[in-house]
Amino acid sequence: MIYLVITILTYIISKKLYQKWEHPLLTPLFVSPTLLIMMLLVMDIPFEQYEQGTNVISYFLGPATVAFAIPIYKHYALIKKFLLEIITSITAGSTFAVLSSFFLGYLIHLSGTFMTSILPRSITTPIAIEVSETIGGVPALTAAFVVCTGIVGSIVGPYVIRFSSIQSSIARGLSFGMAAHGAGTSKAFEFGDQEGTFSSLAMIIAAGITLLWGNTWIPSFQHLFM
Amino acid sequence: MYSGGVSIYKNIITLLIQFSLINVFFFIGLALQDVTNLPIPGSIIGLIVLFIALQTGIVKLHWIEKAGKWLLAELLLFFIPAAVGIIQYPDLAGWSGFQLLLIIFISTTLVMWVTGIVADQLAKRRKEETD
Repeated sequence: MIYLVITILTYIISKKLYQKWEHPLLTPLFVSPTLLIMMLLVMDIPFEQYEQGTNVISYFLGPATVAFAIPIYKHYALIKKFLLEIITSITAGSTFAVLSSFFLGYLIHLSGTFMTSILPRSITTPIAIEVSETIGGVPALTAAFVVCTGIVGSIVGPYVIRFSSIQSSIARGLSFGMAAHGAGTSKAFEFGDQEGTFSSLAMIIAAGITLLWGNTWIPSFQHLFM
Repeated sequence: MYSGGVSIYKNIITLLIQFSLINVFFFIGLALQDVTNLPIPGSIIGLIVLFIALQTGIVKLHWIEKAGKWLLAELLLFFIPAAVGIIQYPDLAGWSGFQLLLIIFISTTLVMWVTGIVADQLAKRRKEETD
């Protein structure tokens, strides 16, 4: 119970901090876990104990994932209209996310656990955790990589947009959602409403496609190369 | 003052009822996953079932919209316990953590660029066709 209260309080405080300064490094997803980890280390509390005390919070990931039906339903007309752009670019992006993580990891001789856990890093956490479990990764590691991806993506995203020739707001939105899921989506909304909407669509579709990859070619790929 | 208190209660009750309804779909998803053994998480099956229910009008948007909005707005909170889990990997604080960060940096930049270029080309083509 005490861990539950502390986690929620830490979240509320870090959210207030972010609203005040809006620096990407101040995202609650970075600040809260850092503070909580420091607390566990200083007070010498085993993680299992913390995990047990906060599993109610993790439960909410389930219904939250279900709730993504709402934005899909609301923007269904938009999805249908731009289906070709969305499916093609997100299929390319999802494949590229998995393959580039793999080959870069291969270059630095990344160990098996880290390698498997980093593959689904480009999608939203609840689904990334599912994919990670499916392909034999460690959910906590995947969650950490997903968080890093979100932070990195929302920092480099605006520079990628500035230095590339990506012009349409559809493409800008899709690339934010594909590369940096939720964190990227909140950044995309700073560019405009259409960017934000397409970013959230990209985030959802990327999760679906990567989930499909996790159940189709990724296991055979692992079998061949890892 | 009094009516303010009542409306807060009303809001909380509305949220709770809507939240329960979303949970019903979550449990339907889990049950379907259990029965069919599909390689898709129960939460995603729940999402699909809820989407179909909205499309067919079995569930009206305003029955679940408030709780759904709340869940998506506070999404980051629900990830925190999972993120704290990296405490189990002290290796990440050193050299290997730096290497992993480098992979994430390079890969994320490339993914963003590839996705944007592909979508932009298709969007341009569509524009030319309609012009």
